[in-house]
Amino acid sequence: MQAMKQFITTDEKLRQLVHALSKNAWNIISAGKEGTNFIYINDGKDLVINADSKPTKLSAKEFFFPKTEPLFFYKKNHDGVDLLDPKDVLRKTVLFGVKPCDAAAVPVMGKVFNWDYKDEFFNRRVEQTVIIGMACSYSDVYCFCTSTGLSPESSKGSDVFLKPAQNSSYIAEAVTPKGEAFVVEFSSFFDAANENDVKLLLNSPKGPEKKFDANQVKQWLDGHFEDPLWNEVGETCLGCAQCAFTCPTCHCFDIVDESCGYNCGRRVKNWDGCQFGLFTKHASGHNPRGHQPERYRQRISHKFKYYQDKFGEILCTGCGRCTRGCPVGIDIAEIAQEINKRNSVLV
Amino acid sequence: MENIYKPELVEILDVIDETPDIITFKLKFKDPEYHKEFNFLAGQFAEYSVFGEGECTFCIASSPTRPDFLECSFKAAGKVTNAMRRLQTGDTMGLRGPYGNYFPVEEMKGKSVVFIAGGIGLAPVRCVIWNVLDLRDQFKDVTIVYGARSVADLVYKRELEEWKQMPSVKTVVTVDPGGETPDWNGEIGFVPSIVEKVAPNAENTVAVICGPPIMIKYTMPVLEKLGFKEENVITTLENRMKCGVGKCGRCNVGNVYVCKDGPVFTYKQLKELPEEY
Amino acid sequence: MQELIQAAQAALTSKEAAFIIGYALTPDGKKTRPFIARTPDEAAKLVFNHTCAHNLAVYLTRIAKPKEGKMGIVAKGCDTRAIVALIQENKITRDQVYIIGVNCSGVTADVTLPFGADNLPSKCIMCQVQVPPVSDVLVGTAAPYDKPKDAVTERMQLLEAMNEHERFAFWASEFEKCIKCYACRQTCPMCYCEQCIVDKTVPRWIESSASLRGNFSWNMIRAFHLAGRCIGCGECERACPMDIPLMLLNRKMGMVAMQQFNYRHGVNPEEPTLVGSYNMQDNNEFFK
Repeated sequence: MQAMKQFITTDEKLRQLVHALSKNAWNIISAGKEGTNFIYINDGKDLVINADSKPTKLSAKEFFFPKTEPLFFYKKNHDGVDLLDPKDVLRKTVLFGVKPCDAAAVPVMGKVFNWDYKDEFFNRRVEQTVIIGMACSYSDVYCFCTSTGLSPESSKGSDVFLKPAQNSSYIAEAVTPKGEAFVVEFSSFFDAANENDVKLLLNSPKGPEKKFDANQVKQWLDGHFEDPLWNEVGETCLGCAQCAFTCPTCHCFDIVDESCGYNCGRRVKNWDGCQFGLFTKHASGHNPRGHQPERYRQRISHKFKYYQDKFGEILCTGCGRCTRGCPVGIDIAEIAQEINKRNSVLV
Repeated sequence: MENIYKPELVEILDVIDETPDIITFKLKFKDPEYHKEFNFLAGQFAEYSVFGEGECTFCIASSPTRPDFLECSFKAAGKVTNAMRRLQTGDTMGLRGPYGNYFPVEEMKGKSVVFIAGGIGLAPVRCVIWNVLDLRDQFKDVTIVYGARSVADLVYKRELEEWKQMPSVKTVVTVDPGGETPDWNGEIGFVPSIVEKVAPNAENTVAVICGPPIMIKYTMPVLEKLGFKEENVITTLENRMKCGVGKCGRCNVGNVYVCKDGPVFTYKQLKELPEEY
Repeated sequence: MQELIQAAQAALTSKEAAFIIGYALTPDGKKTRPFIARTPDEAAKLVFNHTCAHNLAVYLTRIAKPKEGKMGIVAKGCDTRAIVALIQENKITRDQVYIIGVNCSGVTADVTLPFGADNLPSKCIMCQVQVPPVSDVLVGTAAPYDKPKDAVTERMQLLEAMNEHERFAFWASEFEKCIKCYACRQTCPMCYCEQCIVDKTVPRWIESSASLRGNFSWNMIRAFHLAGRCIGCGECERACPMDIPLMLLNRKMGMVAMQQFNYRHGVNPEEPTLVGSYNMQDNNEFFK
């Protein structure tokens, strides 16, 4: 096995690290108490490093792709318009205790934000952020990371990845060069791990049972654009965007202007969702996806087929937020399972 | 930071009322250097901004062979187009582009071309028509079939006349039955039947078609009957777009992002897509 | 349960109802979700239990009205208020719906936890309609259950005790969380506008950004549009992924309607609506 760059740290040291980062003007973000959102912290005692915690209500995507983000400001004057780039200087940021299902979503979204044209709004946030991922021992009926090619110990998307060990210590892996540089910069909080340290690792969390085979789901989707299933699963969907907005990988957005008076204003990028009836509606009134089942088909197909065909990744990390929050109990994993079943009947 | 969402400023040089609800803008980049460097190909589109209102997507309606200014034609239908209608000569707008793919003009060289357009669908076709006409000797027969609901709804009226006068082009303009005026001297009838009447031999011919979905739906079987292969029929899609650069997800249809992989598709490619356009 | 299935099957067999909007178990058998039964066989899947929190009346304005037969719906007492309200607002007529009323013994606030006094939504704590007041057929039994003190009422009292600055700060911190997913609107049986004001762009009345200004206007305007119309099912709050206490606003509006006009929406299908009618006796002190 190739020697991964491994270090050992402790709960106490990580809290001290928060203190050091805070003194160096870093933005420090940690999951709040169980089930709540990521919050900005300054004090080590507010750091939540809990492998058992429930996923936050919103995923970590808001730190790379905020719910609303200014693209530029305009100011009209007597002979035209001045356009000004957003002036905000991003501070270096560290995200603590990110679950594998949230961290993995960052490189997945990175694909669409970087094919051909590069969305530097997304990229600069990723560049400025060190993601400290952490193995996850939470699992409920909604979780299905193991069905999307991930696991509770996937370090995909993390720069540094923590695995709990005995005595409130953690084995930290520097996953990316950025992660390595971070550990080096703050080396007083990370010691090189030796063989004995690694033996202290707690048993790997089992994670949720595998619910479906994503390849089989794709196979079925390849040939079932028209299928009674879509009406069955989409008929009761009420068309809100809870699923899309809490999803770590959903990245659709709207672009709108907001004026602050007659002469000035800004253009912003806002989260948008394919379940909204207006998403594809033309000014003429024509709507290519005029019915909810068609929109639901788009959601499933984009996640398990289109994105994979186009970018080689499933647009889902199995965090389960869409299902956990769906007001009418639509369950994406169950639908994938059903598709699996139908596909195996075919085979 | 490179900002792919920030437009360049353009000045409106002229406003032309095409029909009661379709307007053409003549535009020039305010930065002369940028204007000189700006290259595009027939069929590409751009995002046009009215600051404070938003952005709107249309094809560039002028030909790359005429680089002095850009043109776009639009129907005032939504928030931004209604705001555009209120703009005047001399006003400033924003423009991002050019985006998307283009008509395969290079591959069309040496072949005959038939252009079929309906209503405002002539805008994207007009761009490639001028492109072909400005390089006329590199193509064989050129036929233009254009139809609108009524005489008042015909766009680019002066150019239609100009094309009719050109001996090297066969131009047929038609209006739907009931849409003619007493002095109308063109055809009366729907585009599909006119195409059947005047279309050239499908041999070594490319058809470029753009118009309302209903027109395309009924013209396709006619082209098939005339012997056109699906890969020789080219159209351009008008999906709703926001970013224009393959990010925002709005124009995603099947495995395709219309703004990047399109908007120009052969009929063959189109048939492989889910019918969500 | 059998009673519910029989009632639904009878309505479908006799073609009185074209479909029945009801609840079915999820495959794990632990919770329920909305399900539309179109055949007697499908109706055999219908259930009713403590996890049936959803107000299915929302589908009455979302689903295509059948050419023949009525829209059948399984409704708790609280849900029938929405149906009556829709009749009052002329969105449906009484003879377009076939109501299978279910006697209700309370639903859970969190479906993953067992039913009990510490897992009740506010609507169940305040419930006075365990037996549906309106129905075409009534099934099930309404068992009494322990009702704790209502936390919403307590929070409302706290809010009322605040001065306007404090109250503004409270709502600012709540609305800041809003992500504009519109789950509140989509799950609301009274939010049936063909074009919601937030989606109007010419002119745009409400900023679509999920920034504080846009969030404030959206949530406040929605509350005002529901003033005297909210029937208190709490679906908006249940659906909100950010846990914004929307019922504090809606309940307050309902209380004002009661205090000022002695009006409660969704009670009497014959009664003119509060905002759709005027009478000389109306309290109009606030016009001063």
